[in-house]
Amino acid sequence: MSIMNKTSTSKRRTLGYIGLSVLGACIGLLFLLPLWWTFVNSLRPGGDTFRFLNPLQWETFFTLTPSLDNYVELLSSDLGLATWNSIFVSTVTVIIGLAICSMAAFALAAIPFKGSGVVFIVVVVSFLIPFDAIAIPLADLFRDWNLQNTYTGLILPGLGNGMAIFLLRTFFLAIPKDLVEAGRLDGLGWWGIFRRIYLPLSVPSLIGAGLTLFLFQWQSYVWPLLNGTDAQHILGPIALSNLQGQFNVDYGVMFAGSIVLTVIPLAIIIGFQRYFIQSVTTTGLK
Amino acid sequence: MSTMAVAFAFLAPALISLVVLRIAPAAVALWESLFRESFLRGGTVFVGLENYADLFGNADFNNALLVTLVFSAIVNPLQIGVSFLLAVLYTRRAAGSKIWRSLVVLPIAVPPAVSAVVWSVIYRPDGLGNSFLAMLGLPEQSFLTSPQQSLASIMVLLSWIGVGYWMLFLIAGINDVPTELYEAASIDGASAWRKLWSVTFPLVRRPLAFVLVADTVSNFLIFAPVQILTKGGPSGSTNLLMYDIYTRAYTLGDLNKAQAEVIILVLLTLVVVAVQFRLLRSSDNA
Repeated sequence: MSIMNKTSTSKRRTLGYIGLSVLGACIGLLFLLPLWWTFVNSLRPGGDTFRFLNPLQWETFFTLTPSLDNYVELLSSDLGLATWNSIFVSTVTVIIGLAICSMAAFALAAIPFKGSGVVFIVVVVSFLIPFDAIAIPLADLFRDWNLQNTYTGLILPGLGNGMAIFLLRTFFLAIPKDLVEAGRLDGLGWWGIFRRIYLPLSVPSLIGAGLTLFLFQWQSYVWPLLNGTDAQHILGPIALSNLQGQFNVDYGVMFAGSIVLTVIPLAIIIGFQRYFIQSVTTTGLK
Repeated sequence: MSTMAVAFAFLAPALISLVVLRIAPAAVALWESLFRESFLRGGTVFVGLENYADLFGNADFNNALLVTLVFSAIVNPLQIGVSFLLAVLYTRRAAGSKIWRSLVVLPIAVPPAVSAVVWSVIYRPDGLGNSFLAMLGLPEQSFLTSPQQSLASIMVLLSWIGVGYWMLFLIAGINDVPTELYEAASIDGASAWRKLWSVTFPLVRRPLAFVLVADTVSNFLIFAPVQILTKGGPSGSTNLLMYDIYTRAYTLGDLNKAQAEVIILVLLTLVVVAVQFRLLRSSDNA
């Protein structure tokens, strides 16, 4: 009796295992589908985008004659220039933003000073105000300051990031204060303690904060739309959406542009996956 | 140099950028929302809360507010429910779980503008969406051009990007649940659903709370898909607040009322954050 019970539970276990695997696979593939379809269409001429859709067939999702023509054409198009702009703006944002945010986080975590509570409140308030919501009044200010259609104007709002400061501060707080004392005894000033002790110990959280800064800038749409739309300063997502609005769209090139704008952040997220997950869980659980 | 001066030297770049680029625009919006262009006297005149009163008497604004609230009431529970179930699914023992899970996470790399462009092709009458419906033997749908389906269509594309991201937080939470608790529940003869409801759910309350707040705020700020796909239509059915602010400021050119609307949006997000934190705190004590 008990043996029969056992085999029936283990049978149910196997069935459950198979069921969950199949369900997980189907849902995963469903999520992949739009991107995969975009990818396949980026490898064939724009005129073929709608050729294999009715009815659905294997050629909808595969092509035997892939070509990189669309990507080559992308290089010389406005969208290509816009993608370079996005790369430039995001890179500068990460470098300067990390310097600014880590310095602020260091002051909040390591230096005991009067008013640190007030400063921390300013940081929290600034990230409770959603940036996109205040983009319109800010764009108005930037017009007065002649920062419209400049790289500076595109980069500036991405530099001070409350979330990145918060993340780095959390990490810096965990560094033992004895190290600060030891550094002081060795004759280091605050800058030395920051440069020689805190930064080298915090590479993982710096990468996490760098990702936050990068994604903020790369994924932004409202701000570059309001502040930089001339041909020279336009960013990738804006150029892509302009393309979509045109009457005569080359879908092949549009899909190739979509893939490039997606693959760049994807490669960075995958490359730094461990740090990405870590920064996600720190912001979520602390 | 005193410690205070050192601390402020470290903080200055971040503080200046947060105050000038986050808090100041909000303050400017608040200030300017109290004024109005006057053609009679030239320049602007102080009108108190009249801009706000006008907005609440304006049919387009009221519609945008209603659409935003309906959208939030549906999209947030939907996304959080789906990400929770997926998090549970992908933390079970099953073949290829990690691979399928990463496919669900993949779309988080897709910038909002790119996803809107890709889905604009999926939603075309001759696009991938209708091919799928045809395969399932379902009638053709009009998606973005139907006032009944447009908002739901936008919710689907947003969930495609969002669900994987929120799932990451919940997976981190579920992995923190000690396995002994499940074993204990199994010994007590609890069913799988029972374990999910009485063990997993209460223990991931913290990450769930974070996801609830962060998801609600980000969904209040949806802009790119509306601007790229529907321009708020058809007949105002997708006119979310962010887009209404944008048209009020740039198409209608009524900057002062747009500023008032910015303030309403910021207050709305702050209220939601405050209320949700309050509710969660009181349920923590219970």
